[in-house]
Amino acid sequence: MSPAPTEKEQLASRIPAQLAREIDIYETELELKKQGKLDERVFAETRLRRGAYGQRYDNGQRHDGVETRQIEYPEPRLTKGPNTLWDAPGMQRIKIPFGRLTAEQLELLADLAEEYSDSILHVTTRQDIQLHYVHIEDTPDLMRRLAAVGITTREACGNAVRNVTACPTAGVCAGETFDVTPYAHALAWFLLGHPDTQAMGRKFKITFSGCSDEPCGLTSFHDLGAIAATRMIDVRVERGFELYVGGGLGSVPQAAKLFDEFVPETELLPLAQAICRVFARLGEKNNRSRARMKFLVKKLGIDEFRRLVREERAGLEPDPRWTAFLADLGATDEHPLRPGSRLPPAQRSTAFERFRQTNVKRQRQSGYVTVKLTLPLGDFTPAQARAVADVMRRFTGDTLRTTVDQNLLLRWVSEGDLPELFSALEGVGLAEAGADTIADVTSCPGTDTCKLGISSSRGLAGELRRHLALADTELAEPARELRIKCSGCFNACGQHHAADIGFLGVSRNVGGRRVPHFQLVIGGQWKHNAGSFGLAIGAIPSKNVPEAVQRITRRYVAARQDDESFRDFVTRIGRKEIRAMIEDLTRVPPYEVDPSYYSDFGDPREYTIGDMGVGECAGEVVGFAEFGLAASEREVFEAQVLLDQGDPRNASSRAYSAMLQAAQALARRQNDSVGDDPDEIVQEFKKQLYDTKLFHDPYAGGKFAHYLFKAHREGPNGVSHESTHQLIEEAQLFVEAAHQCYERLSRGAGG
Amino acid sequence: MEARRLEVKVFLERPTTVDLESLVPVFHDWIREGRLDEPMIDVADYRHVPNGPGVVLIGHRSNYYLDQAEGRPGLLYSRKRQAPGDPDERLLDVFRRALFACRLLEAEPALGGRLRFRTNELLFQIPDRLGYPNSPAVFDSIRPELEAFVSRLYAGSVSLTRRGSAREKLGVAIRAGRAPSLDVLLGRLGASPLAA
Repeated sequence: MSPAPTEKEQLASRIPAQLAREIDIYETELELKKQGKLDERVFAETRLRRGAYGQRYDNGQRHDGVETRQIEYPEPRLTKGPNTLWDAPGMQRIKIPFGRLTAEQLELLADLAEEYSDSILHVTTRQDIQLHYVHIEDTPDLMRRLAAVGITTREACGNAVRNVTACPTAGVCAGETFDVTPYAHALAWFLLGHPDTQAMGRKFKITFSGCSDEPCGLTSFHDLGAIAATRMIDVRVERGFELYVGGGLGSVPQAAKLFDEFVPETELLPLAQAICRVFARLGEKNNRSRARMKFLVKKLGIDEFRRLVREERAGLEPDPRWTAFLADLGATDEHPLRPGSRLPPAQRSTAFERFRQTNVKRQRQSGYVTVKLTLPLGDFTPAQARAVADVMRRFTGDTLRTTVDQNLLLRWVSEGDLPELFSALEGVGLAEAGADTIADVTSCPGTDTCKLGISSSRGLAGELRRHLALADTELAEPARELRIKCSGCFNACGQHHAADIGFLGVSRNVGGRRVPHFQLVIGGQWKHNAGSFGLAIGAIPSKNVPEAVQRITRRYVAARQDDESFRDFVTRIGRKEIRAMIEDLTRVPPYEVDPSYYSDFGDPREYTIGDMGVGECAGEVVGFAEFGLAASEREVFEAQVLLDQGDPRNASSRAYSAMLQAAQALARRQNDSVGDDPDEIVQEFKKQLYDTKLFHDPYAGGKFAHYLFKAHREGPNGVSHESTHQLIEEAQLFVEAAHQCYERLSRGAGG
Repeated sequence: MEARRLEVKVFLERPTTVDLESLVPVFHDWIREGRLDEPMIDVADYRHVPNGPGVVLIGHRSNYYLDQAEGRPGLLYSRKRQAPGDPDERLLDVFRRALFACRLLEAEPALGGRLRFRTNELLFQIPDRLGYPNSPAVFDSIRPELEAFVSRLYAGSVSLTRRGSAREKLGVAIRAGRAPSLDVLLGRLGASPLAA
């Protein structure tokens, strides 16, 4: 009997030759790395560009609640990148351009989740699908199977053009200018693997929005954001895009700048190519923390950036692909399976009516609706995925869209089919109401699986979901419409800056033990394509966050004036008042009184190192340092309040002072003779903490120290609201990093 | 049977007794105390997903799920990597580890003896659609080997039925006329009751 064909052989005929070749090369690179014939960093970037990402504990160490222990992998010397063990499971990110999936693709993803992962499919905040706990050696076959149904993981991670996102209602939305789907499709495939996108210093994110009012595209925080626009040329309507560049979240959020009010559709692809070329040529390459395009746009100024791009565009060799797709814009059109109909009047269950109220929206096309399936924390099972595939084949035109709020959107559902559809979804636990409400909480993976996670954003999101779902009937309408988003660290993958109520994972040292906290970030705007970002109010121990949310929402409902938005409410009462509302919640009881504060949500391990000791001498120094750090935190907050009051000059002075306070606290910990002179503080901080790398974060390095050095060099400027806002953000991050540094130093001293 | 990825699910006697939240600290303790003789990595909590993988003890070679699939909770043992080379040893290993984990859970003080597993029905699965698609022919091809093994395990005749549709992973429902204790079954697999 001949040997069974390998997976590669079985799939060969179903994979486009180019994709097959790329995956073969990747598989060879895996083998070369195993043999020690490929450079560590080169291989790391190679796998990242294939979407194979690291995961928590992949350095082979894990704190088990008592001590840090080695995980006994069979090949402890074999690595797949710096400090990343070969056998440690990783995350596989799968690009889903504009979130569109067919039933066949969804079924295949379900199979992969069962066979290579832990039987969970996860929708990300950028419309990707992620599988966790995947072994690197399974990734080539996994990629081949995806390629066989038209999905690539290429450039899902790494310094590349990431998944191109778009409004999930594109093509069916009543408010859109036109359907952006064919443009998103064309640009995604045009830039995939394009030579001009291979040498960028950092990732590059693109999104499309059908209009400027709704939140769907979130153009404000993308490197390149395109909003559909039209103009009249004589009697002809010309399609094009209002183009924004240089937006981003991360540690320093930056709103995108208007590049051009109208870029004709024929110019979309070449202009995007020119932008990538300018970014690749002039963007920062060495300092990762300053390498996103937002820094380049800021450094050059939007006018100079625009000039350089136009110059670049003028010199490009023409490419027929720039306009070829325009000849068949209908290629991506979706067609309904059933004729449109209206839901006949009838007595229906409360559950159905509630679902219909929150999860169903009428399409532009008469008789059709979209139906949103709310996925708790963005997760669903292979069995649910197959059931959804069945629903797609039975009720819609075979496709759905993933959404940036980590849900699934069915389109082209004939309204009269809703009761049957609801029943089918109910059978597999996917008929939960509450889409687009306060209970529909978004979260990045956080400490569950992400190497950078500081606090359990998923744990918090789950807890808030439970609290808010229980309170659903009590919550008044304006509070129900708010959006909550949680990030596990400053990288902001949970998009907390753009939420009404956002949370950012941090930690604090209390009595020698570490306590999980979340920074409350309030007043961000989800609508108008994430029109504005919130500011930090203060850090709250994780366990008190649900209570803080309850207080804030109740106050909003009680004190709201007329149709006042949450953002306007926050502006009116002021951040100082909001801080006062939660002041008591920022305190942490001693461990002996309530140890639950010292564990994170959903994780019984003690969050801090239990055996940390503080000697008497260290105790005195620690006492001063803690005091200084607390003062710096307070000063950042005061700076925010001053800015709110329209006083950027004093706000910037206060922000700068906060950084000095934190730097002094740390410097004095090392050298107690450090005085109050700013030059001396900065000099001593540099000598004692920066040059020695004691201040350096394992992932961010010395990035945050540069905020201090810059502020000291330039002095508090206070010239504009925007620059002061940024200075405050930087002060916040520096103070946060100072807290982390202090914890590391204390651990070292105590241990 | 050359399959390397194999699964065995042992159902709970009374599904209503399962409190998934209490499993989270138990699995963390198992990692800390090295209760399983293989590298374990972390605990994944999927309680929020209906009829999902529940709470998962993630390992390098294997995962242990308190699985909720189809509304029938049970311990699902999933062998992912480094399965023994010999097919019979592979089956022995996967059943032994599944039953051993059940035994540990039954004896777990933190669970207060609330979890009890039924042994007269097991589910065997091969999560490998390319190598072992869920078809009558593939089922027929693995049946003799599997039947011989579980007949030895139960010391008597058993019934094997193919489960699931063609798009689902290959599943085999194993039913025995009797329900020997976990200790008896583990003894037949050459494992002492509380040692792997």
